[in-house]
Amino acid sequence: MANMDQTVYIAGVGVISAIGNNVAEHLASFERGEAGMAEITLFDTIHKHTRPVAEVKLTDDELIAQTGLSTHNGRTALLSLVAAREAMADAAIPGLEALRVGFVSANTVGGMDRSEDFFVRFLADNSKGKLKNVFDHECGSMTEIVADQLGITDFLTTISTACSSSANAIFYGARLIRNNVVDVVVAGGADAITKFTLNGFNTLMILDKEFCKPFDEHREGLNLGEGAGYLVLVSDKVAKTLNKPLYCTLSGYNNSNDAYHQTASSPDGTGSYLAMKKALDKSGLKPTDIDYINLHGTGTPNNDSAEGTAVKRLFDPEYPPMSSTKSFTGHTLGASGGVEAVFSALAIKHGLIYPNLRFETRMSDLPFEPERKFLKDQDLKHVMSNSFGFGGNCTSLIFSKI
Amino acid sequence: MTEKNHITSSCSISNGTVNKDDHKAFENHGLDISAFLLSVYQYFHFNYPKFYKMDNLSKLGWLAAEILLQNDFHKYNYQPEEIGVVLTNSNSSLDNDLKYFDTLKDIPSPSVFVYTLPNIVIGEICIRNNFKGEHAFFIQESFNADFVAQQVNYLLDNNILQACICGWVDVLGREYKATLFLVEKKKTEKSLLFSAENMNSIFNKN
Repeated sequence: MANMDQTVYIAGVGVISAIGNNVAEHLASFERGEAGMAEITLFDTIHKHTRPVAEVKLTDDELIAQTGLSTHNGRTALLSLVAAREAMADAAIPGLEALRVGFVSANTVGGMDRSEDFFVRFLADNSKGKLKNVFDHECGSMTEIVADQLGITDFLTTISTACSSSANAIFYGARLIRNNVVDVVVAGGADAITKFTLNGFNTLMILDKEFCKPFDEHREGLNLGEGAGYLVLVSDKVAKTLNKPLYCTLSGYNNSNDAYHQTASSPDGTGSYLAMKKALDKSGLKPTDIDYINLHGTGTPNNDSAEGTAVKRLFDPEYPPMSSTKSFTGHTLGASGGVEAVFSALAIKHGLIYPNLRFETRMSDLPFEPERKFLKDQDLKHVMSNSFGFGGNCTSLIFSKI
Repeated sequence: MTEKNHITSSCSISNGTVNKDDHKAFENHGLDISAFLLSVYQYFHFNYPKFYKMDNLSKLGWLAAEILLQNDFHKYNYQPEEIGVVLTNSNSSLDNDLKYFDTLKDIPSPSVFVYTLPNIVIGEICIRNNFKGEHAFFIQESFNADFVAQQVNYLLDNNILQACICGWVDVLGREYKATLFLVEKKKTEKSLLFSAENMNSIFNKN
């Protein structure tokens, strides 16, 4: 029986990125104002000294030791398992084995980091290289590998829509609960840094040579990041059985596409405007109800200009505090919607607004600027989280205090 | 129980020739592929500036779809979500991938890079026509009409789509061939039954 009015609650969160290996470390890094960018160490590249990246500060070996996964699974699966496990442990749902549980996980690179290792040796001599090192590298395998470890079997799916992937995974998960397909969903996503993404973004000329400066007039691009972020979404029925406070509800969501260009947003931010506007409509809220926006804010001239234009169109003249946490984590691509959904849920629970690091100069065509300070003890009732992807794939999520 | 679906239009572009349904619509021999595709664009008086930015795979597929849908496709009877695209080829986006690879010697070209995926041609067709239905791109050794029929019948018979553009769009170097079919649920005067046999017959004729 479908129950479309059913509220979807967030019962647990888990995250790993360049600024921490768990939720507590992230909160500490935000408070200290410490960004996670540095020189790349994961692989050899001609871009090593010129393109800072935000790597998770654990090697593959350390992640393997921590997760117990085998070596040929790829870094995306390793990161995914760390954050998804933290989220499930955090939710601590009593009697989970009797409930219908889903895993909706997003990623864009799959096991490409391992494929790239294999390819170098194989290209030099096609009798070299072990096939087990290119087995299970498609995006869907990341989800299956992690679901096996989590013991989730009732519903699995993978979403890959570029940088809005895990925001879409979260609202897909919410729809599964609202339609009574499952009782609990672990939803979010993961992505590891790979040569392909680094070189691809470099080709598009949107990597900053310095640490990124989201929403600054003199921004020059993004820093590539990696990580994973998951929410545990539960139905009303399950929420009533929990022994600890819930974080918030997912009150609104929307995905809109401006079909403008393969990689660029339309200059007027049509897709981002529609996503924010329709997410508000879905939640029944007005722009003035939003207390904080976690911007997509990649730091590229195109994104921040388009997103800023869309924010202006929707919120003018009263702007809520807003910031891009990519100034800490870099752009974690398919993981970013999940990572930032975790930040949004934490913002509501702990009353936090995160600083937009390195902001100096307001963009010339915008009448607002992002928050620079770490603010505590804020009364946040509604938080919007934006995730906009290549292909014009734009998603906004709204989280609300209970 | 499979419903009966129908090929209500077809278009092939290969060997310097454009065929629409069962007649020759244009021919222009002896040109390289870029010049030939431009001559098709000009002959049909298309006006779509974005055409000039496309790679050859997208140009070929876009032109075939434009000609396929000319005249009698009453697309406005369908909702955007009711029209889908299922394409196949054997060389993926390799034609453009190699051109991109050449640019690496100098400065990697962003405008070439964004066409290094085969399904971009589906995006170009959908953006042009405001199609928002299901779409898929399959890479196979050669044109597999049985496979295409199975995919498209599934989408139509389960009411996931009401109309579907399907077929083959392939470019590599000097070689190119596109054969597209418009498949609808309704029979028309000149429509053919949507079957692997009929697709093969049109594909092999051109």
